[in-house]
Amino acid sequence: MPPRTTDAAAPAAAARPRRRGRTGGAAPYWQAAPMALVFFLFFVLPLVVVLVVSFWKYNSYSITPAFILDNYTGVFDGCLVSLPSLCTTFATYLSTIKFCLIVWAVTLVVGFTIAYFLAFHVRTTAMQIVLALICIIPFWTSNVIRMISWIPLLGRNGLINQMLVGSGLVSHPVEWLLYSDFAVALAFVHLLTAFMLVPILNSMMRIDRSLIEAARDAGASGAQVLWNVVIPLSKTGIAIGSIFVITLVMGDFITIGVMGGQQIASVGKVINVETGYLQFPLAAANAVVLLVAVLGIIFALTRFIDIRKEL
Amino acid sequence: MSEKRPRSFYVLAAVFALFVLFLYGPVITILILSFQGPQGGLTFPMNGFSVHWFEQLWQGAGLVDISIGLWNSLKLGLLVMVLTVVFSVMAGLAFRRRFRGSTLLFYTAIASLIMPSIIVSLGIALEFHIVDDTVMKIADAYDVEWLYDNYQTATGLFTSGLGAHLSWTLPFGLLIMFAVFNRFDKSYEEAARDLGATSWQTIRHVVLPMVAPSVVGVALFGFTLSWDELPRSSQAMGAANTLPIQLQALTTTVTTPMIYALGTVTTAISLLVIATALTTVFIVQKRRRRHGSDAGQGVV
Amino acid sequence: MTKTTKPGSIDRRTLLKGSAALAAGAAGSTLVTGFPAVIAAEPVTLRYLSTAVNQSPAIAKKAMEETGVKIEYVTVTTDEVAKRIITQPNSFDLVDSEYFSLPNLVPSGNLMGMDAKKIKLADKITPVLTKGEIDGKKIGSQGSAPWKYFYLEGQHSKKFAKSPTDWMTLIPTTYNADSLGDRPDLIQGEVTHWSALLDPKFKGKAALINVPSIGIMDAAMAIESTGQFKYKDKGNMTKAEIDKTMEILTKAKKDGQFRAFWTDFNQSVNLMASGEVVIQSMWSPAVTAVRSKGIKCTYLALDEGYRGWASGFALPRTLRGKKLDGAYEFINWFLSGWAGAYLSRQGYYPAVLETAKQKMEPYEWAYWYEGKPAEKPIKAPDGTVIEQPGAVRDGGSYETRMSRIACWNSVMDENEYLITKWNEFVAA
Repeated sequence: MPPRTTDAAAPAAAARPRRRGRTGGAAPYWQAAPMALVFFLFFVLPLVVVLVVSFWKYNSYSITPAFILDNYTGVFDGCLVSLPSLCTTFATYLSTIKFCLIVWAVTLVVGFTIAYFLAFHVRTTAMQIVLALICIIPFWTSNVIRMISWIPLLGRNGLINQMLVGSGLVSHPVEWLLYSDFAVALAFVHLLTAFMLVPILNSMMRIDRSLIEAARDAGASGAQVLWNVVIPLSKTGIAIGSIFVITLVMGDFITIGVMGGQQIASVGKVINVETGYLQFPLAAANAVVLLVAVLGIIFALTRFIDIRKEL
Repeated sequence: MSEKRPRSFYVLAAVFALFVLFLYGPVITILILSFQGPQGGLTFPMNGFSVHWFEQLWQGAGLVDISIGLWNSLKLGLLVMVLTVVFSVMAGLAFRRRFRGSTLLFYTAIASLIMPSIIVSLGIALEFHIVDDTVMKIADAYDVEWLYDNYQTATGLFTSGLGAHLSWTLPFGLLIMFAVFNRFDKSYEEAARDLGATSWQTIRHVVLPMVAPSVVGVALFGFTLSWDELPRSSQAMGAANTLPIQLQALTTTVTTPMIYALGTVTTAISLLVIATALTTVFIVQKRRRRHGSDAGQGVV
Repeated sequence: MTKTTKPGSIDRRTLLKGSAALAAGAAGSTLVTGFPAVIAAEPVTLRYLSTAVNQSPAIAKKAMEETGVKIEYVTVTTDEVAKRIITQPNSFDLVDSEYFSLPNLVPSGNLMGMDAKKIKLADKITPVLTKGEIDGKKIGSQGSAPWKYFYLEGQHSKKFAKSPTDWMTLIPTTYNADSLGDRPDLIQGEVTHWSALLDPKFKGKAALINVPSIGIMDAAMAIESTGQFKYKDKGNMTKAEIDKTMEILTKAKKDGQFRAFWTDFNQSVNLMASGEVVIQSMWSPAVTAVRSKGIKCTYLALDEGYRGWASGFALPRTLRGKKLDGAYEFINWFLSGWAGAYLSRQGYYPAVLETAKQKMEPYEWAYWYEGKPAEKPIKAPDGTVIEQPGAVRDGGSYETRMSRIACWNSVMDENEYLITKWNEFVAA
């Protein structure tokens, strides 16, 4: 598929760092160059601009260049004085991290189970692809529309409540189905299980079937095979899926906003409100704090599971 | 099929079925509600049953022209898909060996995933604002009439827009390639090289066919992410709008099930595209089977 | 300003200027409703950035027919409009923004003051917006009232002028007044005060707009109405007043008063139509939208009055040459009646009433503007019947509505503090 493009990218890559014999020649450099270039132009440079802005002075009327740390101290305003009660920033992070943990646990279990089913119980590759696709199709209806449809699905007069009331399970519509922590977690699981499923599935596909048979022949129970063979060998996929889920939940503002009835705080939402009010420096400072916090989490995660080790 | 399935198969199949039902909850709701009567709203109860809203959609009555956004999103999505696949596979290959800056690139990708999209979008907008200002300064300094008359802005669907989307899809592409190349047996490549294949031939004839199904997965992932991207697009598209931006804007006025009808139609189109993608996979597989390779284990 | 090497376009531009001067001369005696399609030969395309509220393919089509200016809509949300003015002033040629955003937008220097001399109907723009008067009576001026931000000191000035100048910030497109809306079929008794928003009777069934600067004003209207607190200026609160308001709101939130907060038009309609919420702050067209689904919904005429808002056209500073001429051409056309009549049928009010009236049927005018019962079925611009004969518009006539505006959407001096407090409130 890509021969011409890669060839075309090669000259540009030649200008990049010099090769070192023992690190595998020039190939890795030109192979990584297009991606590096995209990140440089459309992530690093914009980030630098935003970083510069985050040190600027601002008020409601203008944004002035300056080098001040006010925006960063503003993020943590009152956090130390008010302890043990939590300041806005800490409370917001706590709330976001709570969802992060819940969603991570649920998507991990569900994603792993489904991946296991697809990898070890579905026999043909064709069928595997078809089933995996079935899991992707719902995401082709725009999220904007899907978000609206949660009200008629989970609301007071929604499909679920109609079924519950109709079947006599409850006498009054259940209110906490919508605009609650439950609703937020549910929508996240809905949205993000695929992000867990795909990497785990890819990892599982690399597991040699003969390994499992060998374990079985040696008398290992199903649970033992799962615990001692499948999970260790899927851990790269698990780590990658976890990175997806954690980063997506930490930065989210749409799902938490809509499903929480805009009444539940999240870091992304704070930033969103600030940019909506053109308080770019404050938003930028908040984003940098978020970036540092989540990078820390990911860094810790990759200490446990080095996803680049067995490439 | 002759071999008896273990009990766990049925349990897991049931779990899978439940999960699919859960996934389709909103889609089913949208499907039902898009057949609302002419008096119906975006929520239950159903107010009659009709194809009124599909007709309305078809006529585009009183609406912002969705087709522009649809077309823009499709063009952009396909380009993003191709570039995501190419760049991710290349970078995936690169990461199989050691190179200087690999850790930096890895954490840059992760950071691009973490950074709230509205901020990235804002950064790209400011970056291009600087570019525009620079161009206009040049026009001022050298009195370039041609620039005054023809230059508006560097932002656009295939400049800032494309970049914004790639900064979003590439981290996913790269990490999925990590899963794909995880414990990927190096002996195939060594064997190929021993038989005298160049490194390009090794990639083309040995590595790529083996990861092909996974690459299709990365492609679908890339397209889906781009197709549905909203926050990162918001400031980065210039005057061109993508479908999600237009839909979001529409929610400021449109409160009719037409928006569901649109959802149903896009899902239908999506199904069509997926069917096409599937057929491609089957053809690839058939060809590979003819060539007698046993490679290619990964899916999506 | 721009010199061009193409002789053809010089001719065209000279012609355009000449005809504009002619038309301006004619405007003195009669109202000019249509303009010759002088630019038809080489159509000017304007990228028109705004929310979906003021956009309609019908308006663009009509404008093309009558002026030869091609309109290319760029549709985004309210927040986006403001952000794009700041970050991408080159991505549009014409923008429709709200007056209350101006204190944030003008200092960026990305917009230009519009030449009042080129706006033929400039002196016909309703005094409601230019002076804050209706029939000589003063309108409530709390908040970012449009007349406070109507003029700039110079074309590229970043300062608002105290008295009228030749440089206008925005040319008004639409404006109206917001209030509370309710579902009379789901609640008992009549709602007459803003305090209902915080009434425990509606616990779990009230909603608030999640746009901090507007949400806090609605809250302030409600709090003042309960008698707990009296503001000096709701549109420009002190830190202490913000604290007090947030304290009361936070308590209400913790007590479960609110079902949800909404951010866009669509959500407010859905919340109401689905019965999730029975009382909330609402826009007049949102009430109409709920009602058009056969669901009872009232736009309440409350004792304390309304919260007003207004939006209008602005031009990016870099606009020049034929696009600039085309933009003025389009704005003049927009004020000339057809568009005003079109928007009136959606429940908004236009800048120049006289011209809109000329383009409306007398029975339509009577319903939309005079507070009289509909003689014939009232139709929306797309032809669907929205009210049956006999129906009266909620809130009464234009004069009644406008004279009862108590405050305007605003950006406060303590805006920054407000946003922080609002985030704190959401996190509580």
